Amino acid sequence: MHDAKTVSMIMKTTALAAAISSVVVATSFSFQAQATDDSSVAPWNAQAIPRHIDQEQLNGVLTRSEMEALISSGEHLFTARFRKEDGVGRPMSTQAIIPTKKKRPARHEFSRTAGLDANACVSCHNQPLTGGAGDFSVNVFVSEGFQNTDFDNTDPQFSNERNTNHLMGAGLIELLAREMTDDLQNLRKVAVQTARQQASTHSIDLVTKGVNFGQLHAQPDGTVDLKDLEGVDQDLVIRPFTQKGVITSLRQFTVNALNHHHGMLATERFGERWTGSRDFDEDGFEDEIQAGDVSALVAWQATLPPPGRLEVDNEAWRSAAIRGEKQFDAIGCSSCHRPTLPLKSVKFADPGPYDFAGTRRTSEDDHNAIYDLSLTSWLQQLPHNENGEILVPLFGDLKRHKIADQEVATLGNELLSQRFVERDVFITSELWGIASTDPYGHRGDLTTLHEVIEAHGGDARKTRDKYLALSSQDRESIIAFLSTLVIEPPQSVADNF
Amino acid sequence: MAYQKIQTIVGALATIILSLLCTQTHSDELAYTGDIPVFEETASKAGIEHYYEGPWEYFVGGGVAAFDCNGDFKPDLFFAGGTNPASLYVNQSATGGKLDFNKKDDYVSAVQTAVTGAYPLDIDNDGFMDLAILRVGKNRLLRGNGDCTFDHAYEPFRLETDSSWTTAFSANFDPSTAQPSLVFGNYVDRIAPGSPWGTCDDHDFYQPSPKDGNTGDNARLYAEPLKLSPGYCSLSMLFTDWNRSGRPSLRVTNDRQYHRGGEEQLWHFDSGAQPRLYTQNEGWQKVVIWGMGIASADLNADGFPEFALTSMGDTKLQQLELDAFEENGWPKYRDIGYENGATAHRPYTGTDLKPSTGWHAEFDDINNDGLLDLFITKGNVEQMPDFASNDPDNLLLGKHGGGFHEAGLEAGLALPTRGRGGAVVDLNNDGALDLVVVNRGSNVSLFRNKGALYNNRTRISGNWLQIKLHQHGINRNAIGAKISVKSGNSTRIRTLQVGGGHASGESGFVHVGLGVAERASIRVLWPDGQWSAAYRAFANNFLIIERNSTEPKYWYPE
Repeated sequence: MHDAKTVSMIMKTTALAAAISSVVVATSFSFQAQATDDSSVAPWNAQAIPRHIDQEQLNGVLTRSEMEALISSGEHLFTARFRKEDGVGRPMSTQAIIPTKKKRPARHEFSRTAGLDANACVSCHNQPLTGGAGDFSVNVFVSEGFQNTDFDNTDPQFSNERNTNHLMGAGLIELLAREMTDDLQNLRKVAVQTARQQASTHSIDLVTKGVNFGQLHAQPDGTVDLKDLEGVDQDLVIRPFTQKGVITSLRQFTVNALNHHHGMLATERFGERWTGSRDFDEDGFEDEIQAGDVSALVAWQATLPPPGRLEVDNEAWRSAAIRGEKQFDAIGCSSCHRPTLPLKSVKFADPGPYDFAGTRRTSEDDHNAIYDLSLTSWLQQLPHNENGEILVPLFGDLKRHKIADQEVATLGNELLSQRFVERDVFITSELWGIASTDPYGHRGDLTTLHEVIEAHGGDARKTRDKYLALSSQDRESIIAFLSTLVIEPPQSVADNF
Repeated sequence: MAYQKIQTIVGALATIILSLLCTQTHSDELAYTGDIPVFEETASKAGIEHYYEGPWEYFVGGGVAAFDCNGDFKPDLFFAGGTNPASLYVNQSATGGKLDFNKKDDYVSAVQTAVTGAYPLDIDNDGFMDLAILRVGKNRLLRGNGDCTFDHAYEPFRLETDSSWTTAFSANFDPSTAQPSLVFGNYVDRIAPGSPWGTCDDHDFYQPSPKDGNTGDNARLYAEPLKLSPGYCSLSMLFTDWNRSGRPSLRVTNDRQYHRGGEEQLWHFDSGAQPRLYTQNEGWQKVVIWGMGIASADLNADGFPEFALTSMGDTKLQQLELDAFEENGWPKYRDIGYENGATAHRPYTGTDLKPSTGWHAEFDDINNDGLLDLFITKGNVEQMPDFASNDPDNLLLGKHGGGFHEAGLEAGLALPTRGRGGAVVDLNNDGALDLVVVNRGSNVSLFRNKGALYNNRTRISGNWLQIKLHQHGINRNAIGAKISVKSGNSTRIRTLQVGGGHASGESGFVHVGLGVAERASIRVLWPDGQWSAAYRAFANNFLIIERNSTEPKYWYPE
């Protein structure tokens, strides 16, 4: 697709990196080696999880070698094709986020609608590399998981069809969301305190990292009026994941996805503490995904490098992209697709601070890990602002917006709201990596960047109209610019350090 | 010889059966895998010193009212004292912190003695909680001023009352009246010939006086009471919409110790008609127990409440027989206590195997796992030799597969006290329910919930919501409303009621455990039968739902 080009963020192989790579290779094999060394596991055994990862070994800030081993295990789990002997399948429970029993087993265990709908995470997250996005053919059907599987079908009355997002830079996204949640909840706390002290209503603008989430009006009695809230849930938790922006953390997402797509039930939600059973799905396998397994998947996802920018050799493209980036800003695209958001800390605590019961929380046990993203080589490539904060080039605002209106309704094509978010409201798609992740739109049914821009209605309508009013040359320049936002060529764990 | 063989076989079978039973019990113990909340008794540390004492009349009673008397949304505590003065403790607890109370000596101008129990409710619809005081003597209504002071002699609240021995109370807002209807349940008529055996007093039913325009501001709100007869020495009563008719009946539990020929009762309270008892012809079945307390909850969310009735020996857990109800409208109940492990019939620890004596009972989700639990206060009446003398309070935790698991010992509730009234209430606004127990002859127990037992420490348990309803005008706190909380395919129902328990009542936030649900949809069936729209709520928050509002208000503790 792209002719002569180089990637600006290609990792330079240094002596240090080479040394680390050796360690990585050694450690990345250690997990599998342990498995194959186990005399109880036959050499030809293709089981995805021959041995669970021990969460008790994961405490505090992990060292580089500990991280590498964990990430390697995570990559193995992400790419593994789960099998019967791993506990794949959920004959007597549904894909619902809340543990829900089926009334009767589904006739077909695999189904493109209610799931199981994939053999491995990478079955869908694979464009242009492992952890990437997915083609239209691997769209997912999001529903609430009725007890009666008859209702779990492709009828839009019962499910929303979604294209697969890429996960690159996901750790940075979650860290940004955590800091923004911190800010918003602190603003609320101060507002409530002030209203109590002043015995009068106190209103505040909910602004974090330059993104405005509306207003909150605190009352002297400790209640808050949330009618002017914009683009965030009422509890002021930024939920950055999924097309809709309704999932708080990679951990929550992972537990959901393992259940939905594979029938691999994580103990931290589906185990005996919360369901009274170690085999809630009644597939004959107990505790099939344990805390350490989820942690490995989280660590792998959280340390995926962010997408980068192409350094284009072609002069016409380069100059068009430069002009297009200015146009992108001038017509208002960047008001939502913010080029960067500043991040203070790159210490990724797992579990995170804002998960609810059912996703492992910091007080669950004494084995909480911190993944220090500064150990990754890719982090060094990111710019900083004058405050020393890392500028995360996401081209997003982690805020939800209405994206359809009466005249421009293409992206308002769902009939069901999801987790309290209206059918035509979605979180701003981060544009980093967009050139590598077609098709576009939350259903993945738009094949070009022009089409998806043209489909912007609702809150984005004015900007979309400005785009359409541009000369064809200027519109093309924006496309040229967006086409530089790519995901790196295939990498391995070793490339991350 | 044959006889010996049979004896041997019977003996062997008995051994096998016994061992099976033991195994079953043991495996049941092992089977519970949910969170067991850990409580720390902190009454003295929290600044509470209160004893419920007195002679025979105070062997029963000993209630507590948990309610917000000063508008700070924290539950304050009013304790019946028997021959000791009733006392009010104002809640100063920091959010999520240790429990801390200040005794308010001047809460009322006259010392309140001979008090057996208390129930909070807003009688005059002024937004401040009032108190119905149950006494050995004349009952009282204390008018709340909103600052934890009460008017002892507010003329409109004055009741025409005999000097009865009152041990039960319930209230209900009839939509046609401005004030609630009140029933004071009386115990033994001590001056009747032959007392105490078979001399149960009748109950006093107070209906609001009709406002005819000629009454002044000081006109009494309640006319002379109507006697509900026969009374069978009630120790708890509760207005309950048991049949979803929208018209509550009065459920009464009675003490067989003193009544003769009596039974449990259910009263019709039909519009425009005199209250009358359900009869056997209407499907009511005679049950005779030492009825001490009533707890009510819709355990299976089918719209029909279950009832736990405390007694000496078995606790009854009654479930409506739907076939009989659907066919004939009968209030026919089946006792499902045994099959659900809820009988709590003897102490769960110690060597005393005599039957238990249960008093206050209350359902709530004490470990926030999404399932209702049952808390029961226990304690020997005084020195009854045939009943357990060391009789700890029960914590029956709901199990996912159905039934209950006794966790009082692990939870730290096994104290050698004689419990009476009680409350299950979040005293420090941390989402974890705390427990209050009024003990006869010793200080109250204030059990702070420190979280779920985990290794040698505690940890946070499941998700929760706390919901407060408000409507303008009459019945501001929406007594009689039902709150339906749906997450996933689970619906949890709570009903706002005044009455039941053992001489103890609560008002304020209604607590709902959500387990692993991080959000829920809430609908309210308001007392007049109107459904609200669905409200969307995020877990681990306090919500105030104003009638006709489009969104709930979130409330944040200090």
